[in-house]
Amino acid sequence: MISLADIPSRSPVQAYGPVALLALALATAPWWLPAIGLYQYLGVEVAIWMIFALGFNLLFGYAGLHSFGHGAYLGIGAYAFGLFQQNVALSLWGGLGAAILAAGFAGAIVGVFVSHRRGIYYALLTIAFGQVFWFSSMKLYGITGGEDGLLGIPRPPLTFFGLEFDLRSNVALFYLSAIFLLLTVLILWRLVNSPFGRVLQAIRQNETRARFAGYEVWRFKWAAFVISAMFAGLAGGLFSMAQQSAYPDVMSLHQSGLIVMMVLVGGGLVSFWGPVLGVILYFVARDVLGGLTETWLLWYGLMFMAMVMLRPEGVAGMLHLGWKRLRGGEKPAVLAAEKA
Amino acid sequence: MAFFEARNLHKRFGSRVVLENVSLSFEQGQVSGIMGPNGAGKTTCFHVLTGLHKPDRGEIELQGVSIAGLPPQRIARMGVSRSFQIMNLFDDSVVIENVMLALPEFRARRLNVFGGVFDDKALVEAATDILDQVGLAARAWEKATSLSYGERRALEIGVALAARPKILFLDEPTSGLGTEATRRLASLIRQLRERYTIVMIEHDMRFLFDLADRISVIHWGQVIAEGTPAELQANKWVRRSALGEATLA
Amino acid sequence: MTDILPHLLNGLTLGLLFALIALGFTLIVGVMEVINLAHGSLFALGAYFALTVLGAGWFGDTAFGAWWLSLAIETRYVAALLIGPLLAALAGMALELCLRPTYGKAPLYGLLLTFGAALVIEEIIRLGWGTGEQNLQVPAAINGPILVAGFIYSKYKFFAAGFSLVAIVAVWLFLERTPYGAIIKAGAHDSEMVRALGYDLSKLRLLVFGFGAALAGLAGIIMVPIWGLRPHVGIDVVIPAFLIIVIGGIGSFWGAVVAALLVGLAVGITGAYAGAWATMSMYILLIVVVGFRSRGLFGRKSALEN
Repeated sequence: MISLADIPSRSPVQAYGPVALLALALATAPWWLPAIGLYQYLGVEVAIWMIFALGFNLLFGYAGLHSFGHGAYLGIGAYAFGLFQQNVALSLWGGLGAAILAAGFAGAIVGVFVSHRRGIYYALLTIAFGQVFWFSSMKLYGITGGEDGLLGIPRPPLTFFGLEFDLRSNVALFYLSAIFLLLTVLILWRLVNSPFGRVLQAIRQNETRARFAGYEVWRFKWAAFVISAMFAGLAGGLFSMAQQSAYPDVMSLHQSGLIVMMVLVGGGLVSFWGPVLGVILYFVARDVLGGLTETWLLWYGLMFMAMVMLRPEGVAGMLHLGWKRLRGGEKPAVLAAEKA
Repeated sequence: MAFFEARNLHKRFGSRVVLENVSLSFEQGQVSGIMGPNGAGKTTCFHVLTGLHKPDRGEIELQGVSIAGLPPQRIARMGVSRSFQIMNLFDDSVVIENVMLALPEFRARRLNVFGGVFDDKALVEAATDILDQVGLAARAWEKATSLSYGERRALEIGVALAARPKILFLDEPTSGLGTEATRRLASLIRQLRERYTIVMIEHDMRFLFDLADRISVIHWGQVIAEGTPAELQANKWVRRSALGEATLA
Repeated sequence: MTDILPHLLNGLTLGLLFALIALGFTLIVGVMEVINLAHGSLFALGAYFALTVLGAGWFGDTAFGAWWLSLAIETRYVAALLIGPLLAALAGMALELCLRPTYGKAPLYGLLLTFGAALVIEEIIRLGWGTGEQNLQVPAAINGPILVAGFIYSKYKFFAAGFSLVAIVAVWLFLERTPYGAIIKAGAHDSEMVRALGYDLSKLRLLVFGFGAALAGLAGIIMVPIWGLRPHVGIDVVIPAFLIIVIGGIGSFWGAVVAALLVGLAVGITGAYAGAWATMSMYILLIVVVGFRSRGLFGRKSALEN
């Protein structure tokens, strides 16, 4: 289990500041993204990955359960959305509902198998199940379209209390994703600070003690897995709309590893906002660094290695320490007290 | 029938027999002590009584209800609470949260996913009350890791108390404590004995003989003697094998 | 019954090859309690180095290169079998140096670091050798078809399986019958004792990691003529190795070998009746085994569970 003892703990304070900042950045993104030389679709991608990463971190950072096969639930969400559009009805809400439920259902089954496990065995089993889903998606041609995947998934219009919005432009889809992202932030923020969330964090810190406090630990682990899979499913549904397709690569081990890297680099182990920072950093690396050099993934990988070696608390942890030092400079007495 | 009773417990790990035909009974409202040399099986006995290990054979009853073989969380919910010899806290949480998590009223809210925790006045008050009892109220909002060794021991007991147990198992509460801290702990246990049934493993003879109503001596995984402190002091077997000559001299 | 025999044979040879892949992996897990996700990348690296050695690589345009290429393929192949693993070992040692800050922390960090390393090595391979599929030449003596009991087999497959068997036995003898093996095994269980005996633990770890990496590289050279050589072959390979270790039980040498044979048989037999699902069978096997025996077939309690 990860020890966070040397890293600032998650503080139970309110989050209005960061939420407002995020909302402002999201609301204005369609203006400033092109202004700094980027493109609208990037905003869609970033918002979707943030939903995925935040939900993943409930499991990874908060419950301390190291799933290495989470791409599977993103993929299941994507396929479920596409299949719903093609086989049931052209409906945004139906598709997203199907995506969330399908991923949650898959998570519920896998959760039964993995939730009694700890440490590396947990990671291993989640990898194995992830591979099973990935492999199935490639081989079940009749349902998933094999290695090509589902193509031509439509972006159904958003209907909301009689209003109808067209989502075929990337800006419109971005706003939809941004709203879901803000909802995700609000729900997860409440969740991690609720009694349920505190029990999850207690289990991460000391599973034995949590059992002796009377908690059925494995049910909490199971629930965390299911909830996190459902957010992955939501992200997957939006992803299939963004890509207008769903394909096996979304479920690959590579993708599952990527989300772990993003969350860790951002500082998901120590901060609620870690996954958000991590996603931003990854896409900046991909699009800005990638514009300069073909080998950006090499540099990103090296940075990740350096981070694991030297600063496992990630960007969020570094910011926190830097902020503390800054304040400590003004009030040396506080710093001295902290050191004592 | 005793309040808490264990009959003919057997436990082995591989080929090593750790508990052999151990029978113990603890009366309501009393302080019971368990002593014996290192490696005698005392802590294993606690682990079996509180559900961490399943006994291979034997019966354990709390108020006449069998609890042998139940998982620790079930036993804990039935009112059996314990502290650990090797400290077992939620290190990244603040002191008060360590206590809160063990409160039955917190457990009742465990499936609440939208409510607050630290802004819940009832919870904070209940936890502060417990911290008051163990003398940690002033440090409620500090991280558990920032506590001194003695304070962490006190918090261990606080967490065990927070469950509002029917019976409280303390595994070597004085281990590693200085004389002053041990004295404070003794006075705490004197207060607690008014309200709780307490069982403790203890190496410090003076401490145990001072506080306990009855004491069981475990050696080589067996109960070799049982009685009041006065009776045991007269028992030469106990003096020779378990007490470690110097302590009582 | 007669028609299942070739599939069993096929499965067994595949199992031996899997065992060769898992060998270095299980050594590193057993001694250092690090799940080396870069194992597959070291495997690929060994094979790419061999490719370079065979083709005179960086000296291709010099007089030395011309002389080298004029040598018989057999000579160059043997040289590749020696130099490839050696270079992979150096890469492995470099990785071990990077791992040092993670010792004493949760096993997750070792897993994460080696995952990053796998990504980095794969990118380095793309840079150094290009992204296309390559072919590792083998001497004619071990190439071509062979007829066994009326079925046509590839000669190379038998060579590879035999080579794996020899390598497995050699590593086992090394661990069990030499003083070095005793020290390595002691390091796995009691690092204090190793120190007390006067051995330098960090040097031991460096060498064990190098040894494990060399085995990975060797496995790469043997395997890629069958599986093909592409930059991401590492990921394709590390997963079976990983599954085998878990099925066999972390830290158990024979557990890994037995698990490898089981996986080979499962894949071979599934391949016969439902070809598309062959790879899937190993995941199912893992889920079944670990579902019933959480520590695998021969596993003991390990620090990796925390």
